[in-house]
Amino acid sequence: MSAALRPTSAIPLPDATTSSARPVIEVRDLVKVFGAGRGSGADSAVRAVDGITFSVGAGEFFGFLGPNGSGKTTTMKILTTLLGRTSGSVSVSGLDLDRDPSEIRKKIGYAGQSIGVDGDLTGRENLTLMGHLYHLPGALVRERVQELLEVLQLTDAADRPAYTYSGGMRRRLDLGSGLVHRPPILFLDEPTTGLDPQTRNAVWEYLRRLHRDEGLTVFLTTQYMEEADQLCERLAIIDHGKLVAAGTPAELKAEIGADIVTIRLPQDEQFDARRSRAVDVVKGVAGVEGASVFDQGVTVRAHNGGATLVEILRVLEREKIPVKEVAVSPPTLDQVFLQHTGREMRVEEVKPMNRTGFRRGGRQ
Amino acid sequence: MATETTTESVYGHGFPRISESAATGVGGLFSEIAWVCYRSLRKLSRNPFLLMFTLLMPLIWLGLFSQTFGTLFSKAASSGGAPALPYDYIAVLLPGIAIMTAIQSAAQSGFAMVTDIETGFMDKFFVAPIRRSSVLIGKLLADGLRMAAQAGIVLVIAYVFTLAFHWRIPFATGIPGDLLIVTLAAAFGVAFSGLSNSVALFTKSTESTMMVSFTLTFPLLFLSTAMVPLALLPGWVQTFSSYNPVSYVATAARAMILSGYNWTEIGQAFAAIAIVGILLNGLAVVAFRRQGR
Ligand SMILES: Nc1ncnc2c1ncn2[C@@H]1O[C@H](COP(=O)(O)OP(=O)(O)OP(=O)(O)O)[C@@H](O)[C@H]1O
Ligand SMILES: [Mg+2]
Repeated sequence: MSAALRPTSAIPLPDATTSSARPVIEVRDLVKVFGAGRGSGADSAVRAVDGITFSVGAGEFFGFLGPNGSGKTTTMKILTTLLGRTSGSVSVSGLDLDRDPSEIRKKIGYAGQSIGVDGDLTGRENLTLMGHLYHLPGALVRERVQELLEVLQLTDAADRPAYTYSGGMRRRLDLGSGLVHRPPILFLDEPTTGLDPQTRNAVWEYLRRLHRDEGLTVFLTTQYMEEADQLCERLAIIDHGKLVAAGTPAELKAEIGADIVTIRLPQDEQFDARRSRAVDVVKGVAGVEGASVFDQGVTVRAHNGGATLVEILRVLEREKIPVKEVAVSPPTLDQVFLQHTGREMRVEEVKPMNRTGFRRGGRQ
Repeated sequence: MATETTTESVYGHGFPRISESAATGVGGLFSEIAWVCYRSLRKLSRNPFLLMFTLLMPLIWLGLFSQTFGTLFSKAASSGGAPALPYDYIAVLLPGIAIMTAIQSAAQSGFAMVTDIETGFMDKFFVAPIRRSSVLIGKLLADGLRMAAQAGIVLVIAYVFTLAFHWRIPFATGIPGDLLIVTLAAAFGVAFSGLSNSVALFTKSTESTMMVSFTLTFPLLFLSTAMVPLALLPGWVQTFSSYNPVSYVATAARAMILSGYNWTEIGQAFAAIAIVGILLNGLAVVAFRRQGR
C-alpha cells in the first residue's frame, strides 16, 4: 500500500488511546523489532510493533482490532511478560514490566492465540496443574476447577484427555486455564478465531459475564469487526505495528459521520485512472462528505446515502466511468478500518504455529 | 503452612488469592517442580504406546546384545582363543546397556520441549508466577525417573534370566550396587539430556534435535568402554574413550556387576556426570532463558 493511497482525512481522536478510568495497563512508545542485530543487516528486521501508546482502565473491556501480522500477538506477549521488547515502557497493574514481572504474572490471566492446552491431560488435569502453578492450596484448586468446568460447560468431558476435545471445547478450556487463579486482568489473543458462530456466541457471553459480574479488566485482540463491536467498550485499530485509530466503537463509527457508499470499479487496465477520476468527481456531488480510494474502488461518505447515490451514479455515468458494484451501508467498523488503512480487512483463517488441530495429541 | 492474603476478590466471593508465602518459599519451589514433573509423567502414562516402548526398549537391547555377543567369552574359550572366565560377556555389557537406554531417552528429551513451544503450552508455564528453572528441573526429574525405571528394568530382567536361563552374571554388589548403577545411569542420562534440550531450544525443531542427539549417541557409546573393556579397544579409541565421560560411568558400573565397589571409579563417574551435567544443562539454561527475548 503506497502512502499516496492512504486517506488523510481521519486522524485518531486525541485522547482515545488513553482510558479515563484508573489505568491498569499503561503502554508508552512500545517498539518491538524482530531480527535486529543478527548479522543479516537491518533490512531483514521486522518492526512488528512500531511505537504504540495506549492505556486500559480498571474494569474496562479493551480490544485491539487488526489484520494478520499487524502486531497484536507481539504486543500481547510483551504485556504478559512472555516476550522482551526493543524499547518503550509498560506497566501492568501499577507494576513495572522490568522490575516486577513475577508480581505481574500473579495478576494476569492469559489465553494465547495457539491454544496452550496439553492434549494428553484431561480438562480437569489441565486446570488443576495451572491452579498449582499459581500456588493455590489444594482444596481451593479442586473447588475452583470444578466451578470452572461447570461454567465452561466441560463437566461431561472433564475427565477425558483434551486431545479428544473439539476446537471450541479446547478454546474454553484454555480460557479456563487462565482463570483458575482469578486474575483481575485478562489477556485474550484472538479468543474466538476458528470457532463456529454458535460457540463464538457462547464464549462472548461468558466473557461479558466475567467482565460485568466480576469487574475483570479484559484486553482482547481480534480480527473480527463484529467481535470488537460487540464486546469492546473501547478499541484501537492496529495496522503495521501502529495504532491508526482508537475510541469506543460508537465514536469510531460516528467519526465517519455518514453513510458509506462503496463503489467497486472493474479491475481492468484503466482501473487506476478511473479510480482517481471517480474520487475527484464524486467529491463535487452535493451531500458527499468525503471520498477515498481503496483497493477495489472508491468509498464515499455521504449524508442521506440512498439519495446521494443516485446523483453519484449519474455523475459517474456522465464521466463514462463504468461501475461494477455499488452498496450503501450505515458506518461499520469495516469502514472505519478502510478509512484508516485504505484497505478492506480480510480475515484469513490461518493459525500460525498451531499444530494442535492436526495432532492426535498423544505423541508429545 | 501458608498465610493466605485475602484481598477483595474481583470475582465477588472474597476468596483467598494467591498464597504469597507458598509462592516465595522453598515449599513453593518444590511444589512447582513436583507439578511440572507430575505433568510429564502423566503424559507418558497417557501414551500407552510410548510407555510400552519406553519399557520394551531395554528388553530389546538386552535380548539383542545377549544373543549376538552374550556368549563371546565362552565361545572364544572353547575354541582355545581366550581364557575361560567365570561370567558371560553379557555381564560385561550389562552396565553399558543400562547406560545406553538412559542415553537414548536423553536424546529424545528435547522433543517434548519443542512440542510445548509449538503448541503454546510453554507459554502457560512462562506466564505463571513460577521460576523458569522449575520448568526445566521438573522436566529433568521426570526424565530421570523414566531413565532410572528403564535401567532398573535392564537389571531386573538380566537377574531373572540369570536365575531362569543360567546366564552367568555375578551381580557382585547385590541390590545396593544395582541401585547405585541405576542412579549412575539415570544421572548420566539427565546430564546428557542437556544437549538434546539445548538443541531443541535453540533450533525449535524436532528434526534438528533428533539429528544432533542421535548422531552423537552411538559414537559416545561405542567410543567408550561401555560395550568393550578398555584393553580390547583399538589404540586411538582407547585414547578417545579416556576423555569420554561414558567410559567412567561404565567402568564404575561394570565393577559393581563383576567384582565389587571401586569407590575411586565411582567418584570419577559422578565427577564425569557432574561435568557433563553442568556444561550441557548450563547451555540448556542459557537457551531456556533466551526464550522470548
Ligand atoms: N519471532 C518472530 N521473529 C520474526 N518476526 C516475527 C516473529 N513473531 C512475529 N513476527 C512478525 O511480526 C509481525 C507481527 O506479528 P504478530 O504475530 O504480532 O501479528 P498478529 O497481529 O498477531 O497477526 P495474526 O492475526 O496473524 O495473529 C509479523 O510481520 C510477523 O511476521
Ligand atoms: Mg496473532
